[in-house]
Amino acid sequence: MPYFKDADEVYAYIGKLFEDLAQDEELSPKFRRANTVVQYRYREPESVITVSLLEAGDGRVDCGHTDLEPEVVMTMDADTAHRFWLGKVNVTVALARGQMKAKGPVAKILKLVPLTKPVFPRYRAMLEESGRQDLLEAA
Amino acid sequence: MAAVDPDPLARQMVGFKDFYQYLSPTRVISGRDLIGSAGFEFMKEGASRVFLVTDEVIRGTGLVERVEEGVRDGGLEVAGIYDQVPQDSSTEVVESCAAAAEDAGADSFLAVGGGSVMDTAKVADAVFTHGGTAREQEGFMLMPRDGDGMGRPLEVAPLACIPTTAGTGSEVSMAAVIKDHEEKVKLEIADFPLFPRLAILDPDATRTLPPAIAAATGMDAMTHAVESYVSTDWSPHQDARALQALRMIRDNLERAVETPEDEVARGNMLIAANMAISIALGSVHAMSHPAGAHFGVPHGVANAIHLPHVIRFNAEGGDDIADRYRDVAELLGVESGGSGADVGDALAGYVSGLVERIGLPLRLSQVGVPESGIPALVEGAMGDGTTLLNPREPSESDYEELYAKAL
Repeated sequence: MPYFKDADEVYAYIGKLFEDLAQDEELSPKFRRANTVVQYRYREPESVITVSLLEAGDGRVDCGHTDLEPEVVMTMDADTAHRFWLGKVNVTVALARGQMKAKGPVAKILKLVPLTKPVFPRYRAMLEESGRQDLLEAA
Repeated sequence: MAAVDPDPLARQMVGFKDFYQYLSPTRVISGRDLIGSAGFEFMKEGASRVFLVTDEVIRGTGLVERVEEGVRDGGLEVAGIYDQVPQDSSTEVVESCAAAAEDAGADSFLAVGGGSVMDTAKVADAVFTHGGTAREQEGFMLMPRDGDGMGRPLEVAPLACIPTTAGTGSEVSMAAVIKDHEEKVKLEIADFPLFPRLAILDPDATRTLPPAIAAATGMDAMTHAVESYVSTDWSPHQDARALQALRMIRDNLERAVETPEDEVARGNMLIAANMAISIALGSVHAMSHPAGAHFGVPHGVANAIHLPHVIRFNAEGGDDIADRYRDVAELLGVESGGSGADVGDALAGYVSGLVERIGLPLRLSQVGVPESGIPALVEGAMGDGTTLLNPREPSESDYEELYAKAL
């Protein structure tokens, strides 16, 4: 059974994390050095988060419908995304196994991977504050 | 006691590997006079009307005519020949190649050439089989599959390769890289169906290889072997291949460069390159890819320049990393004792000596890279996927320092 019951739950946690990062004065400029637009297409539940990481302009996160044109598309189960943000997924292994699929100039995203490590505790804390111990224990 | 969840982000260099995947679906045949039996062998892979993919230089050597004869002798037809593959292939070339194969009524592809020719044939095969544009093939594990896209990948038309350089290993890999000139990017395509069904290793195919190319491609093979052995994505399967490849490179590379008529050395280098290839690489490749993209430094030359510097850097990254370099040093007859820095220095010295003896440059400044180019190179290396597989995590300042040393 998937960790998240519907797309709204995905947006409430993973989408919220992206939104928080977009507002983070320290991390946001580092992520925006990728200078790209990434779309995360999740399965089970079906959901889409599009993140603008363009150097020019503020970070923007669209949950669901978007008019942003993605340059890189990452496809995975929402469970995999959840486990990734808990620090439990090795991206290179996930790509090799096909658990994550990538289309577009993936290098732009891979260089952000080291930047994500400090975000893992933040995601965990967000779930704890929301009383979602179940999501922490399920993964 | 509860089991401890292993940290998936740790750079695990020893012990029981948490996860690895090993594939080697390509049938490899190696030996003398195999060009003449290309058709006999390719028939076993389902080929009937064969479309040859090559470049003008290779065609000019007369090799392609011998391959044609070999295809016909096996009872197959040569549907057509595409000889317009440039040194760095592109989406336009791939689409033109696929269209030519379709016009010719081909049902299979046979690549005769180096990395660019083989990569062109792979992507052209995907376009030929599944339709769409070359750009639409881009991605990791994104080729059409059964079910909802998560099942068994659909096969492409039979593909065989006869490599004419001993370095790239593309004849047994599932990856291909082509340029998109319009978008000014390199497209990477990797999925299981891109493994060629057949690789024919015949030293006759490298008979006309110029010594400088033999040296550069040989250093590419050596870099594949060393980097795959020390990559965080190492595996016992690849270890065996990498170490045997290094033994063969140790014994044959200089001979193949100095004495091009040495068929034994050339043949063994073809096998070594074939065994060394892996997509589990590291910072040498991360540094070499942008050097090629920004300044046109040939890939093997860039690897030869960067390899000693990355060895020194990595070997100081921890005992478990240094121990892997010790294995390599021991195999190459290099002093393997002392600290990580000691073994790194000794091994790097061996590599530099080899590079010098086979006539390749040791510095980026010798191949047209200016000091002002370093920031762009660092940016490229940090964004290269192989950086994530390097045993020691490099920072931007580490790359700045490595490029400065290589300059």
